Amino acid sequence: MSGDNAYRTTLLKEIAKCRACRFCVDVCPTYQASAGVETLSSFGRLQVIKYLLIGDLEFDDSLSYALYSCLQCKRCENICKSKGQQLEICQIIQLGRNLLSRQLIEKRNNEKL
Amino acid sequence: MQMDIKRIHKDLSKIVGTENVFSDKPTAVVYAKDVMPYDVEEHNIPYAVVRPGSTAEISRVLCYANDQQIPVHIHGSGTSLVGLARPKTKGIVLDTARMADVVVYPDRGYFEAGPGAHLAKVRKELSAYKAMLPIFPGSELVATIGGSIAVNTSAHAVDASLGKPGDYVLGLEVVMPTGEIVETGTESMRKPAGIELTKFLVGSEGLLCVITKVRMRLIPLPYFENIVAYYRCTEDILKTVMEMYKECISPPMFFEYLDEKSAKVGFKAVGLSEPVGAVAMMSMHSWSKAGSEEKAKKFLEFISVGQPIEAKIVKDKAEWEKIWSSRAEAGNYVYRLGSTFGSEVTPRVDKLQEAFRDAKAAILNLQSYKNPEFYSFGHIGAPTIHAYAFIPTKEIPNDIKKAIVKEVREITEDINVKYGGCGGEWGLTAQRISFLKKKYPPAYYQLLVKLKQAFDPNNILNRGNLEGWV
Repeated sequence: MSGDNAYRTTLLKEIAKCRACRFCVDVCPTYQASAGVETLSSFGRLQVIKYLLIGDLEFDDSLSYALYSCLQCKRCENICKSKGQQLEICQIIQLGRNLLSRQLIEKRNNEKL
Repeated sequence: MQMDIKRIHKDLSKIVGTENVFSDKPTAVVYAKDVMPYDVEEHNIPYAVVRPGSTAEISRVLCYANDQQIPVHIHGSGTSLVGLARPKTKGIVLDTARMADVVVYPDRGYFEAGPGAHLAKVRKELSAYKAMLPIFPGSELVATIGGSIAVNTSAHAVDASLGKPGDYVLGLEVVMPTGEIVETGTESMRKPAGIELTKFLVGSEGLLCVITKVRMRLIPLPYFENIVAYYRCTEDILKTVMEMYKECISPPMFFEYLDEKSAKVGFKAVGLSEPVGAVAMMSMHSWSKAGSEEKAKKFLEFISVGQPIEAKIVKDKAEWEKIWSSRAEAGNYVYRLGSTFGSEVTPRVDKLQEAFRDAKAAILNLQSYKNPEFYSFGHIGAPTIHAYAFIPTKEIPNDIKKAIVKEVREITEDINVKYGGCGGEWGLTAQRISFLKKKYPPAYYQLLVKLKQAFDPNNILNRGNLEGWV
């Protein structure tokens, strides 16, 4: 398995731990600040990364905004872990940003920025 | 039909403002994803997500959708467990999150809430007035009051004790699929007798209207006394519930259970020592402390019928919180260990043990995935058995997940048909249309279709949920 594939598989495996309960949505400060836009919550960001990984999404401004607007405050992780799950949500979002940056460079989309 | 998404975006922006319309694909995907374990497909992904801030804006969105023949899928918070929250066809997702005001009128005896208000927020607002919200889903942190009334679910509470939320709804403000704004019900504490539109709209699952305001009676916050009972096996708990109804005993507001395996997981999760068998938890309520104590004492005497190993009234608040939360944590922690596929079995009360045995056998003999484990828990006093197939991995291909969901659903349908049940918590459309067709004569479903046509001639709202599309 190539490095990229291993990275992709690991990330998808981590996101698969999410049960889509959306408990992380309401505690997210960017969700609150946007008057409830779910893309700007941790749940939304995990979905964005997942569908980026499986090829259903491509780079666009809204995708970058969703990933880079996360404050890494970990309130989502606290609620997620208090409900028994083991997701390192902030780390997954960091890895998602990393993935996005690599894709941008590979496809020279970074020149758009 | 090819739609011009830019055009839709522009048209909707004129109604609700540019900042409240999203037609980017990431946002569309996020609003298409619900709790169902399989992936979103292209036909589920909406053209746009619109976030109106008023009843008038919703009316204009629906007029536009009718004019353009674009389906509209209503979004509360997306926590439905039977696929209600996933759009079944391309269209506009109408998110109610911006309409989340809660206003309490103690002098009038009611409160009003926007559909997007989260239940936890409503409960907090009401607690300042010593009032109780009669809706108790596990998802209350994020579930909306609009969604709860649209499904008419009290979730974990025992119907025979508390009733359904609809029993407390005094009136609604709704927007019809064709854009008309309609007020129903009353502002009086006296609910209308006779034919009244509120009854048709509560529980209509977004097929007949968009709920834009809910008016509910203030219910005095009762006193509770709590009981925990430890049993050798789940069957003894089922026997207790059967006897409770047979002997016409006043049921608790909450009567939860954990089967033998779930009890071990749940108790471990909250730091309690593992019980030897199954566990039941009951909460008795009354409007006075003495009343709740008397009820609990009597109920404790009654439950000896099921021969528990131990049963006691739990006075210590911290101890009860741990015991009580073990029920919810069992579900959370079982999921943590792998994948779960749930059902909602609600049999006739005299058939509770038979239905439980059938559900267990059917889950253990699943064809779509061999050798799953069986876990069960739920609101047994209601009665609801959540029979779960547990598979100790999260790495299950998407098509297999879909097949398991379908098979577990069919098992549930067959057991509910066999034992006279219907489900009482998760709603009856979306994935459950095949159940309605099995349970009732064809005239039943035809009547639902006619009702839908009468309210929504262009089949704009939640298209596909009454058709049983996935």
